Amino acid sequence: MAKRSFFLYLAIAVAIVWSLFPIYWFCRMAFLTPDQIRLFPQPFLPGVFELGAFYNIFGYDYTYAAGFSTGASGQSNQIIRGVFNGLFISGVVTVITLIIVLPLAYVFARMDFRHKEKLLFAVLLSVALPPVSTLIPFYSMYVQLGLTGTRFGLILVTLTITVPFVAWMLIGYFRNVPPIERLARIDGYSRMSCFLTLILPLSKSGIAVAAVIAFLFSWNEYTYALVLVNGTSANTLPPAISGFLAQYPEPGNLAASIIVTIIPPALFAFFLQRHVTEMSLVDPVR
Amino acid sequence: MAVGSADQAIQVSTPTAKTRRREMSDTRFAFMIGLPVLAFLLIVVAYPLGYSIYMSLHQIVFFGGYRVTFVGFKNFIDVWSDKSFINAIWVTLRFTIESVVLTMILGLLLASIMNQQIRMAGVVRTLLFLPWCVSSYAAGLMFGQMVKGQTGIFTTIAFAFGGTQGVDLMSRATVVEVLAVANAWLMAPLVAFFILANMKTIPKRLYDLAAIDRLTSWETFRYVTLPPLQFSLFVFSSITTVLSMKMFDMILVMTSGGPGTASATLTYQIYKRSFKDLNLGYGAAMSFYLLFFILGSTFLIYLVWGRRVSR
Repeated sequence: MAKRSFFLYLAIAVAIVWSLFPIYWFCRMAFLTPDQIRLFPQPFLPGVFELGAFYNIFGYDYTYAAGFSTGASGQSNQIIRGVFNGLFISGVVTVITLIIVLPLAYVFARMDFRHKEKLLFAVLLSVALPPVSTLIPFYSMYVQLGLTGTRFGLILVTLTITVPFVAWMLIGYFRNVPPIERLARIDGYSRMSCFLTLILPLSKSGIAVAAVIAFLFSWNEYTYALVLVNGTSANTLPPAISGFLAQYPEPGNLAASIIVTIIPPALFAFFLQRHVTEMSLVDPVR
Repeated sequence: MAVGSADQAIQVSTPTAKTRRREMSDTRFAFMIGLPVLAFLLIVVAYPLGYSIYMSLHQIVFFGGYRVTFVGFKNFIDVWSDKSFINAIWVTLRFTIESVVLTMILGLLLASIMNQQIRMAGVVRTLLFLPWCVSSYAAGLMFGQMVKGQTGIFTTIAFAFGGTQGVDLMSRATVVEVLAVANAWLMAPLVAFFILANMKTIPKRLYDLAAIDRLTSWETFRYVTLPPLQFSLFVFSSITTVLSMKMFDMILVMTSGGPGTASATLTYQIYKRSFKDLNLGYGAAMSFYLLFFILGSTFLIYLVWGRRVSR
């Protein structure tokens, strides 16, 4: 038994290192001084622990203990705005996705109706569409409608990613919820109240997972945001950060802002992770 | 409804029976719920698709005045004599297969670890879930920095053991593997969590029976754990296939298709044709081939695997 638990803990340690090391190796740069970043080979641990890069990305100068100072990043306005826009847009997208997808997935999972197979295929097709090829049509449509550079526009286009994907996952989930509607219908529940008062409370974990997925997709969306809102007041964090790449490369600031992007979804995931283990899929097409 | 009022209900029901609201049929209810979403999906799917079809059938020129000329299927045919397109197919195929296989193996391993009785399971789960909180964009930055000769961990390790040269994995031979590992790192937690959820539904007594039969832990895994997971494994093989073939921002950030064209996948090639060369019709034609490959490969997975396990 002792041998087994030794290997188990070894495996856990390896898994944690595997998951965290790439994040660590990059984010370590946020705590390095600029001259340490230029070292070859790179040091494994930061020598001194200073938060200069974080001051810089939020628009403050910082003087290191060693005496030299680094200026506020020129990208700081976009970063700060990106945090708020990102939280706002991801929040709205998450809520709307849930409102749209929950009834839809339920209907597809539990009811039989004509054209169901074809409609399911349309959902799959929209999951399969690569953003690279929808970018130009969306861009030209947005220019005509005046939606470029607006938060509304980005919310709309992000929904096109989250809705089909989350629907595809939740259809499988709803099939696993115990079939209590027949009994409830005999007791005089309407279809709608069945769904609202019985199925929804039973599917907490499915809803939690759908929320996490929608939030993560929206928060991390880069391609559309880069083309549709970059540089405007509706900018989100990923394109704002890519400004560091285009300008004079500042790895420290880049790493600090990547840390900023990881924190909100990590918190979100931490509070909702226990629900994930209660998800179980069955065939959505059956 | 209370029993006492039933008599009353019978009395009044006779004259109003005709006007009593009929319940909707399943189809109507489904459409009532689904219609807004379907309208939305119509815009999402039909509009870009229609627009892409239009572009792919035309030659669109920006320089020297914007001109659009109808060329029929010329773009679709020309693509096949384009070396970079053929190369992109192979790169995409290699990247996708490696990504999917790695992701599924990693997902199974992570799920098996999380399925054990361990202390602080919540913390372990959160830590193992963390890669999925990283955007594919940031993952590209992270792995790029981690494997490059100048900044990489392998250089640091090589020097720690007395080496004098940097180790650069961002080379022609290994760049696709690096991308696939990064992609698997990113997607494995999602797969692991759904597999874990599925593992939790396997009855405990099956493991007791396996222990009585003195199965080794490998046999237990193979004959007790694996069979009920078949369906989840199939679904996630399809999902990761689609996601891998669509993967773009990670590749753009990490390698920009390089070195040379060693990591120029179809998505990158489409981006290059459409946005850099501004050859929109040609890019659109390529993206239809990509869409076709995505649908074709998911259908293939369904045919050879899904049909067996989804009953």
